[in-house]
Amino acid sequence: MEEKRPLCVNAIVDLTESTVAIVETSEEIIRNFVGGRGLNMHYLYKYLKPQVDPLSPDNVLILGTGLLTGTLAPNSGRHSVTCKSPESGIIGDSNIGGFLGPEMRFAGFDRLIILGKADKPVYLYLEDGKIEIRDASDYWGLLCSETDAKFHYDLGSDVEVQSIGPAGENLVRFACTRYGVKNAAGRCGTGAVWGSKNLKAVVARGTRGLPVYDPQGMIDKYTELRDYLKESKVINVLGRVGTPLLYDVSNYLGAIRTHNSQQTVFSDSLNAEEVHKHVSKMLGCYGCVVHCRHRNTLGGEGPEYTTEVLLGANIGVADTGKMIDLNNIVNDLGLDVSSTGTYIAWAIELFEKGYLTEETAGRILRFGDYNMARQLIYDIAYRRGLGDTLAEGSKLVDKFGPETADFLIAIKGLPQSDPHDVRYLKGFALGIATSSRGADHLRSRPTLEILDLPTSFTTQLYGEPVDPNPTSYESKSRVVYFSETIFAVVDCMGICKFVCHGFNSPRNLNYDHFSELTRLATGLEFSKEELQSVGRRVIDQERLINFQEKGITRKDDTLPARYFDEPMPSARAKGSHISREGFNKMLDEYYELCGWDKNGMLPQERIAELNKLRDLTK
Amino acid sequence: MALKQKQIYCRPDLCIGCRICANACALTHEGAANPRLGRINIRQNLFERYEFQELCRHCDDPPCLDACMVGCIEKDEDTGIVTNDDRCVGCWMCVMVCPYGSMRRDLIKQIAVKCDQCKDKDGPVCVNVCPTGALVFEEREDLPEEPFISGPSVT
Repeated sequence: MEEKRPLCVNAIVDLTESTVAIVETSEEIIRNFVGGRGLNMHYLYKYLKPQVDPLSPDNVLILGTGLLTGTLAPNSGRHSVTCKSPESGIIGDSNIGGFLGPEMRFAGFDRLIILGKADKPVYLYLEDGKIEIRDASDYWGLLCSETDAKFHYDLGSDVEVQSIGPAGENLVRFACTRYGVKNAAGRCGTGAVWGSKNLKAVVARGTRGLPVYDPQGMIDKYTELRDYLKESKVINVLGRVGTPLLYDVSNYLGAIRTHNSQQTVFSDSLNAEEVHKHVSKMLGCYGCVVHCRHRNTLGGEGPEYTTEVLLGANIGVADTGKMIDLNNIVNDLGLDVSSTGTYIAWAIELFEKGYLTEETAGRILRFGDYNMARQLIYDIAYRRGLGDTLAEGSKLVDKFGPETADFLIAIKGLPQSDPHDVRYLKGFALGIATSSRGADHLRSRPTLEILDLPTSFTTQLYGEPVDPNPTSYESKSRVVYFSETIFAVVDCMGICKFVCHGFNSPRNLNYDHFSELTRLATGLEFSKEELQSVGRRVIDQERLINFQEKGITRKDDTLPARYFDEPMPSARAKGSHISREGFNKMLDEYYELCGWDKNGMLPQERIAELNKLRDLTK
Repeated sequence: MALKQKQIYCRPDLCIGCRICANACALTHEGAANPRLGRINIRQNLFERYEFQELCRHCDDPPCLDACMVGCIEKDEDTGIVTNDDRCVGCWMCVMVCPYGSMRRDLIKQIAVKCDQCKDKDGPVCVNVCPTGALVFEEREDLPEEPFISGPSVT
């Protein structure tokens, strides 16, 4: 008989020393941080020495599965990749779907904490309780799809692979890591950290069963939740056409980031039905009931809404096929779509404004030039010419002059991921301004107010009445506070946000569902209030790391100057911009809700609590 | 005379490769999560784009039954379901003769495991949990004439 598997097994892999050590997480720490993003942050705080260069061997790289990852909970295929970001210099944290997270758990590991740097390219091979650091020289230089195919050919078709492409190897500061051909831990340049550690891939094969506290209860609960989720309109549409469904809506509103946010309306050729002509099938990740992933006819997967705008509208490419081609290339090279699209659009505007010339850029940069964009993407990944410069990302603001930051659509050094121009939705604007990893919609994304929900319902949802007008600054901090808390919890659970309460829909999985699922999967009881306090603790932990690494305070919780100063030019959102006064008021209210001071600093008691928890961990 | 029998079929166009079927199977029969421990195995290898279902067909004349040296494999005369029991000694003859590769080895218990269509339950659990209706449990008249890739699709 096998001995009982602990709830959370962490492997500390030192690539410099080629050693692997196993540590378990105590139940007390699990009760405080749950797993996934939360425990990753706890361990980052524990292991990261202050002020280290993110691309040095001192950076700490963590792959952590959620508490429900791999169980039968709906959409439980996700894990988080965490480190100090080489792009922004603050926390780098990115959530990824696919199949690797569950496979890691089946192989006996809930978390990998990777330290040091290998002296030559390596990959980690995980199988049934053992980890091998293997030579990866045969794989170095390969595209993501080639790497995936070669691992399946060499090690068997049943292994799961997460890897970096040439962009990560060449330390492009916004390189991502990828599962298969499309799933990405996209944001914050985690791929460059893999590259800096000479880590090409993590490969797992797990044949062990993951203990589930109440198997039959889990099956019954899954079936109940599947039927409940399948009734959701938005989940059905996501399953039919994926995220491009949002394009028409945003475009109609006049809030599509176009030509580096100088315009806000773009071509109908990127509407969901046009994109879908290039889609041969929809697929799911592990345990998925939504199936929003496209297999496209051009030899890849995608595009998502983010890609069609950032590699379409934002750089002016209107042809659907050409946009999908750019999507496939960026995916294969292992670049973050959001950052790549934003930097290219920014470079084109730099060119328009004379900061770059034909001589310095080595080419003419123009919106709508597909061939130029295609070439530039390759140049970025292989660090050639202007691409080598752009590969440094937001650090270039120092090079081209501080005023160029005004038209780089980025916050805290991280370009905005969501294709939605946030000047119209004020709550959304506050969300990306305060997000812990930079301009990112997956930390809060408060968009429920556009749904015109009854006030009685929203009052119950947010705990207080909220102004239903999306352009109002009133009570929007409450909406952001609510969303970021539940999103932090869902990231700790290892569940996809598409089935999470408050992301696209006011229904779907809420705290009560997570409590039940956690009990059925692990036997641990969490009340709704406990889960909420876990969410807040994770956000505060991130805030504390950000403050220690880069002095992040109120001055950094802001928006690109364009969002304040330039009114939106078209359609229904015409004339919208963010008023500094309104924004500051929202920020004051938000800090008060968070229990932070006027300057956005954590109270001393909270810092003491987080330090105590850090010291409790071995 | 071949017995007409309900079988588990996959409609690949509807399958999204989520592996919930195999995971639920593992939870039912092994009490732990891991699709690899399930009796059904459907993968969608995203890059090579191949789809394949490994699952017992409950043959009319099961080669595994003939191959079993301890006689622990039986075919129920009424239901047609082929089952094995724990008298299995792990010789793996059944694994070798199965034309569909659907006999799985449990290397910890050292016994062969196979699909029993959840005969004691309300229908096969894999079919019940499938999120897209790709898996069906039905009696089909004439298999060769039934186009395997047909019907509704998730696209």
